Amino acid sequence: MNIIVLIKQVVDVELNIRVKDGALVEDGLNYVISSWDEIAIETALQIVESVGDGEVTLVTIGPDQAAEALRKGLAMGAHKAIHVSDAGFDGSDSFAYAKAFAKILGDRDCDLIIAGKQAQDTDAGLTAGMLAEFMDLPQATNVTKLGQIAADKLTLHRGGDNGSEVIELSLPAVLTVNDSLYEARLASLRGIMQAKKKPLETLDLAGSGVDAATVGIAGRQTVIDQLVEPEARQAGQKFEGDEEETTKQVLDLLVNEAKIFA
Amino acid sequence: MTKILVVAEVKDSEIKKPTLELLSYANSLSLETDAVLIGDGVSGQADVLAGYGAKKVYVADDPSLGLYSTSAYTSVVADAASQSGASQIWLTSSETGKDLTPRIAARLGVGAITDITKLEVNGDNIKASRPAMATKVIQECSFTQGGVRVLSVRGGALDVIPADAASADAVSLSIPEKDLRAAIKEVVSEAGGEIDLNEANIIVSVGRGVKGPEGVDLVKPLAQAIGAGFGASRAVCDAGWMPHSSQVGQTGKVVAPAVYFAIGISGAIQHLAGMSGSKLIVAVNKDPDAPIFKVADYGIVGDLFKVVPILIEEVQKIKG
Ligand SMILES: Cc1cc2nc3c(=O)[nH]c(=O)nc-3n(C[C@H](O)[C@H](O)[C@H](O)COP(=O)(O)OP(=O)(O)OC[C@H]3O[C@@H](n4cnc5c(N)ncnc54)[C@H](O)[C@@H]3O)c2cc1C
Ligand SMILES: Nc1ncnc2c1ncn2[C@@H]1O[C@H](COP(=O)(O)O)[C@@H](O)[C@H]1O
Repeated sequence: MNIIVLIKQVVDVELNIRVKDGALVEDGLNYVISSWDEIAIETALQIVESVGDGEVTLVTIGPDQAAEALRKGLAMGAHKAIHVSDAGFDGSDSFAYAKAFAKILGDRDCDLIIAGKQAQDTDAGLTAGMLAEFMDLPQATNVTKLGQIAADKLTLHRGGDNGSEVIELSLPAVLTVNDSLYEARLASLRGIMQAKKKPLETLDLAGSGVDAATVGIAGRQTVIDQLVEPEARQAGQKFEGDEEETTKQVLDLLVNEAKIFA
Repeated sequence: MTKILVVAEVKDSEIKKPTLELLSYANSLSLETDAVLIGDGVSGQADVLAGYGAKKVYVADDPSLGLYSTSAYTSVVADAASQSGASQIWLTSSETGKDLTPRIAARLGVGAITDITKLEVNGDNIKASRPAMATKVIQECSFTQGGVRVLSVRGGALDVIPADAASADAVSLSIPEKDLRAAIKEVVSEAGGEIDLNEANIIVSVGRGVKGPEGVDLVKPLAQAIGAGFGASRAVCDAGWMPHSSQVGQTGKVVAPAVYFAIGISGAIQHLAGMSGSKLIVAVNKDPDAPIFKVADYGIVGDLFKVVPILIEEVQKIKG
């Protein structure tokens, strides 16, 4: 079983996110593999280990420094990586990335493409579904559990609106993973050493075969005009001390000020 | 010409509220609007959609559409879009909407904007605000090229404006063949709270601070006494103390009730992303520095095992 995992290097949303003049303040930002994409790597490794043969290939489109994310994924156990890096991709939206991936992955031999349910920087959740449509592949998004794993077929659960939807998916197909699927493994020291010797292919726009007019500012269909800070919630009142007393105080406020039981 | 196609969602033979929100909004702007209705035994709902302003209702009603399927639903919506000649397709950002939106957009060869919390529509010019980076920023987005505008709006972002009774101008759509490559076997529903978190006016949620299933059982009567929905953090769902359908947060349900009780929840950004839109937040946590207190209107610093029984007793007194 050959699996391609789309991983994106994103700003670490836990730390130092500030907005100024409609954009992120670059100073102090930290870059990591998007959380859901780490789980996508874990999922691919689990499937290959369960089937007992095959390779996991990581693919990213991103700047030079995104190579770090690929090295980290290789250290987790992925077999090889492809880094598509070119300023021509700057400003792409999910549509443009999906178009590019359709071209880049179009003639690669693979049984399964796995992505995150959404990227941590965009929270869009569009790339994988668009890619599946462009490649005319079946999809299962928001996968929460894997059942039977065979060479040509997967049984899985996806989190749906009315419960867990049980789907039998024939391969090739596209999956996106929910974070409850697996906990991503940590790279071992041995893994980190081995990763240095694993193949990491770097392609520029021309080398990737992607038409420059379909990506970046020319190819995108949507744009972020600006970022603004969310309305900050004011921290309210904090009650410390004897629980009997503080609890009754708060209940009193809920009843008389907020009138929640009215 | 601007024309909206709303993709309707149905649950238990009722049109879901977020769908009514979309129709109400289109109606309030006097936009010409059609709807597409998909499912098994759903035809009767067409009149409801008409009442909320849908001029034409495209209906695909067939046993094969009873369970959601990406391929079949995409085909139906694409068919309705082409028959209606809509210049915009509006979906809700439910799990169904999240699966369907990219697929439809790609089929029409256009981009999409998802999970919108504020929408301004001026003809086919759209300004959409949406949270990103676990709600640490709000993106203001627009479309850059021609073509159909495909977008999804978060439930609760718009208001429902009560409708008149009407009878629908319904158009039957042909039923697509099943895609055997992704065969839907069944839907396993998890026994969750009795009150739907997305509809609940008050929610009581528990975190790892409850320590185990017994702790969950301690807090549940509080939700019952208040008549609240019962939710949880991911830590609680991952531990198997509550079903995943009760998870609140970025990967669980995004809720915005009038009052949200966070009991033994630390307030990680992914949890906050799912509940910080609540009107009033009450937190109980024994750690005075827990991040949840940064967003709580009323914070009780204390042991939940002492606080919750008092809350239950007092609420029962108030409720008589
Ligand atoms: C990609 C991604 C997506 C995620 N999505 C979600 C999501 O959708 N929803 C979600 O909730 N999380 C999500 N998480 C996980 C999130 O980061 C936190 O790990 C999780 O929310 C922690 O749950 P908790 O607050 O219950 O547990 P903890 O962080 O362990 O907090 C327990 C709290 O209980 C308090 N406590 C302990 N004992 C008592 C007591 N006796 N009385 C009072 N207080 C007590 C402690 O002080 C502590 O603050 C996600 C994480 C990632 C990486
Ligand atoms: N530039 C990229 N490089 C690699 N993977 C990507 C890229 N953009 C998106 N993806 C994949 O698509 C998923 C969803 O992205 P998005 O549509 O931005 O939410 C991510 O979790 C990744 O798996």
